[in-house]
Amino acid sequence: MVAAPTAMAAQAPGPVATPAAASDPEPEALTGGRAGSDFMVDTIKALGVEHICANPGSSFRGLHESIINYGNNSKPELITCMHEESAVAMAHGYFKIEGKPLAVMAHGTVGLQHASMAIYNAWCDRVPVYLLLGNTLDATMRAPGVEWVHSVQDAAALVRDFTKWDDMPMSLAHFGESAMRAYKVAMTPPYGPVVLIADSELQERPIAAHGAPPRVPQMTLASPPQAESGAVTEVAKLLVAASNPVLIADRLARTPAGMARLVELAELLQAAVISAQPNVLPPTSAGRMNFPNQHPLNQTLRSVAVTAEADVVVGLEIANFYGATNIMRDQLERTSRPGTKAGAKLVTISATDLTSKSNYQDFQRYAEVDLALAGDGEATLPALIEAVRRLLTPDRRSAFEARGKRLAEASAAAVARARSDAAYAWDASPISTGRVAAELWDKIRREDWSLVNGNLSGWPQRLWTFDKYHQYIGVSGGSGIGYGSPAAIGAALANKKYGRLSVNIQNDGDLMYAPGVLWTAAHHQIPILTVVHNNRAYHEETMHLQRMGNRRNRGVDRAHIGNEIDNPAIDYAKLAQSMGWFAEGPVSNPNDLGPALARAIAAVKKGQPALVDVMTQAR
Amino acid sequence: MRTLLAALAVSLSTVGASAQTAPAGSVDKGRATFQKVGCAQCHGREGQGSPTTGPRLGPVSMPWAGFSRYVRAPRQQMPPYTDRILPDGDLADIYAFVQSRPKPGTPAILRP
Repeated sequence: MVAAPTAMAAQAPGPVATPAAASDPEPEALTGGRAGSDFMVDTIKALGVEHICANPGSSFRGLHESIINYGNNSKPELITCMHEESAVAMAHGYFKIEGKPLAVMAHGTVGLQHASMAIYNAWCDRVPVYLLLGNTLDATMRAPGVEWVHSVQDAAALVRDFTKWDDMPMSLAHFGESAMRAYKVAMTPPYGPVVLIADSELQERPIAAHGAPPRVPQMTLASPPQAESGAVTEVAKLLVAASNPVLIADRLARTPAGMARLVELAELLQAAVISAQPNVLPPTSAGRMNFPNQHPLNQTLRSVAVTAEADVVVGLEIANFYGATNIMRDQLERTSRPGTKAGAKLVTISATDLTSKSNYQDFQRYAEVDLALAGDGEATLPALIEAVRRLLTPDRRSAFEARGKRLAEASAAAVARARSDAAYAWDASPISTGRVAAELWDKIRREDWSLVNGNLSGWPQRLWTFDKYHQYIGVSGGSGIGYGSPAAIGAALANKKYGRLSVNIQNDGDLMYAPGVLWTAAHHQIPILTVVHNNRAYHEETMHLQRMGNRRNRGVDRAHIGNEIDNPAIDYAKLAQSMGWFAEGPVSNPNDLGPALARAIAAVKKGQPALVDVMTQAR
Repeated sequence: MRTLLAALAVSLSTVGASAQTAPAGSVDKGRATFQKVGCAQCHGREGQGSPTTGPRLGPVSMPWAGFSRYVRAPRQQMPPYTDRILPDGDLADIYAFVQSRPKPGTPAILRP
């Protein structure tokens, strides 16, 4: 980021200051004691923020200095980022492991513009990010030139459509209160990013100039909203009476407790569970780690079939309930048909009903349901479990047991089929995605691992065993490309203190948006294993082009134009090595993959980030 | 008697379908065409399939008639291939290629 050239101020045209009289007894004060930004650091420390990610910028130079000197660069520790988009995505990934927001500093203008896509991802993924934006509101205090183009009347306007709350405090006391309010708003479900403007005058002037020293206000988080008890009882009645109830969870589990509660409810009912985002068919991965993938009631691999058989479907914090219960066909005429049978009762429980905005369309198509409960899914589950328990009878328990046995057999068959499918094209080069997943699982299965990004065409959900909350953190939310590496490294930063092996399955195109984040990982000694799913294309778009070309009878011969990432091929190992990583590749012989992964994991265990570039098949 | 006739009709129609054998196709040409016209993008270079984009095709158990009918007029999400962009001869080569894919063993690391 370009720093404001302060020397320009002395050369700027305009009124010339009168030189001080020789007899002036008061020398100009050029230094001061504690500054406003010191108080800002006190406030941030009170919030328990452990790291603050930033690409340096002059509009927050006061706060930057306070963090590293007054705050001793500890809680928060400054993380040097090479792009504001990476800074926000790191905070995004970090939260999904740690459950606490990271702060991000950026210019209120150009920095926020860089950051905006990652903020949108966090918004769609219901993740709190705490943004502090530098700005100089008082025009008479701006140095001519860059400080003017880096100033804005209403900085947060750019992202107000996809943030929960913002403020522009005009005093330190105001900053303290708004800092607390911002954190509270961000951390009340549905979670979301918030913006606080740190005005440069407020940062840089001595605290004495602001009057009495302000006090850091007390911060008390709001308890998550539980759905209305009468409606919860109605849902329990439907579930207990149902022949084939299905629970679909997307961003349900905000904490490990959410996963435990869903397991408890499912086992009580012996109900089918689908843990997935229904924007891909067949769905393979959810927004959060909601349910163990090998649990006998997990029917995610059979989601279309169990949804079709269901007489009650309950969506738990599912962003796209319409998509979960309807099937769209993407042909010349787009058509939709119900994915449920006639008469099936449809229910949603979601905190997103408590807040909504209109411009960006992440709220998805309107779903016609029988019951809509406005409340946080995880917070509502205990009441729902108790309501179900009260309604149980020996007859129903007996029916549940039979249902559970049937579901367990179907689930086991689906898992066995997936294992068998992965063996096809086992020795192919480029390497099949199934083999990559199998080789990787073979190397990490005895570690305390955490998949912090990537889905490899859904193979990990088929071949691995996910049974701990930190083993899976979902996806970007807004499908904004460039999320993968920084979110993975942010999550790895959180995993570091627990000694976990962070695993990032990294799409090649996504990596190239802001590869400077690799340097950030090396600089801050964040251990992570990155496996590049190198299919040498923006492959999703290749498939879209094929659809268009065939639909228009022009064929697919030229679908690679504008989509391939080849000629020249990018050497991801060299890229990573240049920024301090252990790296190998490209690996194109499937028999070389296992040993390469083993060497990379050995480097990670020594505290180094490591990358293996794998020449994969497209999907 | 009616049941017997119905069963016979089904049997004859099955024979009819299997009689509609694929035109002779070239496995080698099929491999190249499978890649060139984009089948491999969703189904993998060996037709092994991918959980999120396209099912396994090789070795295919679908008769030629059903296979070719689906390619021309897919009922689900697959883009349609008319004979203008994929002539019958090329489709027969693709069929020969996917038919020739070997069944795999069970690699040690895939055993539960």
